[in-house]
Amino acid sequence: MTLLMSPRLRKAALTAHVTSSVGWLGAVAAFLALAVVGLTSTDAETVRAVYLVAEPLTWFLILPLAFGSLVTGLVQSLGTTWGLFRHYWVIFKLGINLFAATVLLLYTQTVSLLARVAAESNADLRELQGPTFVLHSAAALLLLVTATFLAVYKPRGMTRYGRRKQRELGRVGR
Amino acid sequence: MPVRPDEENGAPRWVKISVIVAVAVVVVFLVVLIVGSGQHGPGRHTPGGPSEPAPDTAGSHTGPPPGVGHGDE
Repeated sequence: MTLLMSPRLRKAALTAHVTSSVGWLGAVAAFLALAVVGLTSTDAETVRAVYLVAEPLTWFLILPLAFGSLVTGLVQSLGTTWGLFRHYWVIFKLGINLFAATVLLLYTQTVSLLARVAAESNADLRELQGPTFVLHSAAALLLLVTATFLAVYKPRGMTRYGRRKQRELGRVGR
Repeated sequence: MPVRPDEENGAPRWVKISVIVAVAVVVVFLVVLIVGSGQHGPGRHTPGGPSEPAPDTAGSHTGPPPGVGHGDE
């Protein structure tokens, strides 16, 4: 059974979903830019600043936007005729979102740990300069761009469940 | 949305290709993880490598933000 939203509510839910999803993508892009600076800079204070600012950026922006995107995406699919398991592109997008949000949640440990190390006055910042931020944020960006592509192009393909539901709706509509 | 005849008997081609690519990426990741002796996670990124415990943060902790718990504490 699907509880369909009214057109006004659907627009509001769609706005919230697009805002949080694109915001998440933008925040990850900002993180990647910082990560590149942190990896390539030769100035110790700049490197320290990057690792320190990465933590609030992750906790206050990336994480809330990620889970905002996940929740609004679920609302959007369950409250419209798109459904959650009727179209392959919706399933793929949900999978990408769940995977990225889970890895992000686990990765907050690394971000916080590196921020604490950077805060140490005697920390050797050259040892801190690993590619982890660049690799993780670049991979996340790739996934989020793929999810955006799926949302915009909505490639064809209905699941067996989706086709059955469509036939049922067709019968009801007659 | 109308169902095309080629969709009647299973998933479209883009779905099959995407699944193959995703599985290949996961396999490559697992191989890299195994070759790297499973070194993946927060401890790997601390100075001194994976065997070094997390640094004592007393007095120098910058985070987490108030009201937000850490998973590693």
